[in-house]
Amino acid sequence: MSQSLTSGDSPVVELLDVHKSFGRVYALEAVNMSLYPGEIVSLVGDNGAGKSTLAKIISGTERPDSGSRVLVDGQEVRGWNAGKARRLGIETVHQNRALSEQQSIYANVFMGRERTNRLGFVKRKEEIAETEALLRRIGYSSKVWTPRSPVNRLSGGERQGVAIARAILFNSRVVLLDEPTTAMALSEAGEVLAFIRDLKAQGKSVVFISHNPWDAHAVADRFVIMGRGRVVFDGPKANMTTEEFIELLHGHAKSGRDR
Amino acid sequence: MTTDATATPTQPTESASNADARRTRGRFHFSDDLRPVIGALIFLIVMMAIFTIRAPDVFLGTGIFTAVFLSLPLFMILGLGLVFVTTAGESDLSFPSTVALSGLAYTVVFVRWGFWAGLALALTVGMLCGLINGLLVTKLGLSSLITTLGMNFALAGVTQVLNNGKVRLLSGFDHALIRRAIVGSIGPIPAQLIWGLGLALVLGLIYHRHRYGIHVHIVGDNPDAGRAMGVNVERTKTLAFVIVGLCCAVSAVIAVLLNSTYYSTMGDGYLLPVLAAVFVGGTPVGGGRGTIGGLVIGSATVVFIQTGVVAVGLDGYYTSLGFGIVIVLSLLGHRWFSGRLTK
Repeated sequence: MSQSLTSGDSPVVELLDVHKSFGRVYALEAVNMSLYPGEIVSLVGDNGAGKSTLAKIISGTERPDSGSRVLVDGQEVRGWNAGKARRLGIETVHQNRALSEQQSIYANVFMGRERTNRLGFVKRKEEIAETEALLRRIGYSSKVWTPRSPVNRLSGGERQGVAIARAILFNSRVVLLDEPTTAMALSEAGEVLAFIRDLKAQGKSVVFISHNPWDAHAVADRFVIMGRGRVVFDGPKANMTTEEFIELLHGHAKSGRDR
Repeated sequence: MTTDATATPTQPTESASNADARRTRGRFHFSDDLRPVIGALIFLIVMMAIFTIRAPDVFLGTGIFTAVFLSLPLFMILGLGLVFVTTAGESDLSFPSTVALSGLAYTVVFVRWGFWAGLALALTVGMLCGLINGLLVTKLGLSSLITTLGMNFALAGVTQVLNNGKVRLLSGFDHALIRRAIVGSIGPIPAQLIWGLGLALVLGLIYHRHRYGIHVHIVGDNPDAGRAMGVNVERTKTLAFVIVGLCCAVSAVIAVLLNSTYYSTMGDGYLLPVLAAVFVGGTPVGGGRGTIGGLVIGSATVVFIQTGVVAVGLDGYYTSLGFGIVIVLSLLGHRWFSGRLTK
């Protein structure tokens, strides 16, 4: 599978004419978006632009309105929901990280998908060994904490690392990260961006949702800018500098307000 | 996919190794699961040492242990269920009345159809009470503390009405074999202690090692995280209440067999000691954590206070004071013990 976006690849996930309304409020209107193998898409936009709603639709936690189409590997998936998304290899790293912080790292990695024998007893040795291998694979090890340490011993960046590691483990092909660097120290955010580049290096597609234009620019192959429930820009990063990107972003935010 | 993940590790950062250094302080290293158990055990040993110094002739004999072990299993079995519910982030105050009602179910059926039918109905009634609690809490979103407090009154009322003030004697029935098997004795050890420890072992395995037990910890700690990752929060919590009901029924059947008598206030007097056993045993109120091993030790602590206070020559009235002191001291002990080793 190719690492970079080439015209020969077909999209992993495609959203066609996606609408979502909450009562009389349109959160998304006629959104089209494709995600190709091994690319990082930064999904950006002002507050209320619809990027969280779009993220929830991709992860299956919100259902799009009727008429909207979701395609995985070119096949339309009916009755799109979180379970189907996960089975098709779309993993979400939630904004609040969805970690149970008093439990061990390995229990969090396998949360909801425990490795058990036929009686339902957890194969701890197997889970611990796999967690250890996983953490080592993403360049993550420590003298002090082990897979058995509780998550509340870790730093904020390390916790996000566990949440991302969990998304990798189950042969995911698409990883969706909802504001993973929000409320983080600079060094921690740097760790998270490094994780995201690793995901790409493994051939996975990434949707990175952020408020922070510098983070969004740093990792992206392509930008999707949302404004008022619509996609207002969809294009490759190519040679765009951070300044040009921020200017583009502000331009769209402004025109969105003037509309 | 052809890329190899190991080809691009993230660089180990400076800040990470500093953080490592900060965290390596404690000289002892107990696993986090074991720490509250050891804390509870140290507390029990210290308490027993004090009792033994004050009343050596009582505590160096075997008589007091046999006496304590007669009733210890009744408290311990109730506590087992409560550890599940407490870890799941809920409370259950209805267990004394569930004991009374399932005990009545056992007694009434036993006199007509025998032990096994009685046991089956007692278990059904107990688990049904738990199911009602669980559904009220998870489906209607009611506070478990208040719901189960109300249920404790309601079930006590139902029991009183159904029993109609009778004291039911079971001494005339021929069930010596069953009695010997469940409340007989093996040397100086009462059989119910073996049954109680066996149940603790089974529930302990489920609590600490089974997928269900892991889910109990997760829903008590961060139910939203569990839900996002596919854990059925409502079912997990409801089942925890059902386990309490099951434990109530087992405890009730043992108590009725032990005393050969049923009276509808048989559950009274369990509420506070059992809750104390759970907390003294190292299961915190907040949910998300707990220990079955600690509970076994905590129950012993609580039951020995009752006997110990009298044995060292204090008036029986001092028992409550003893309870209070022990509970507060043990909570401080747990915080000190785990604080020193984790911070």
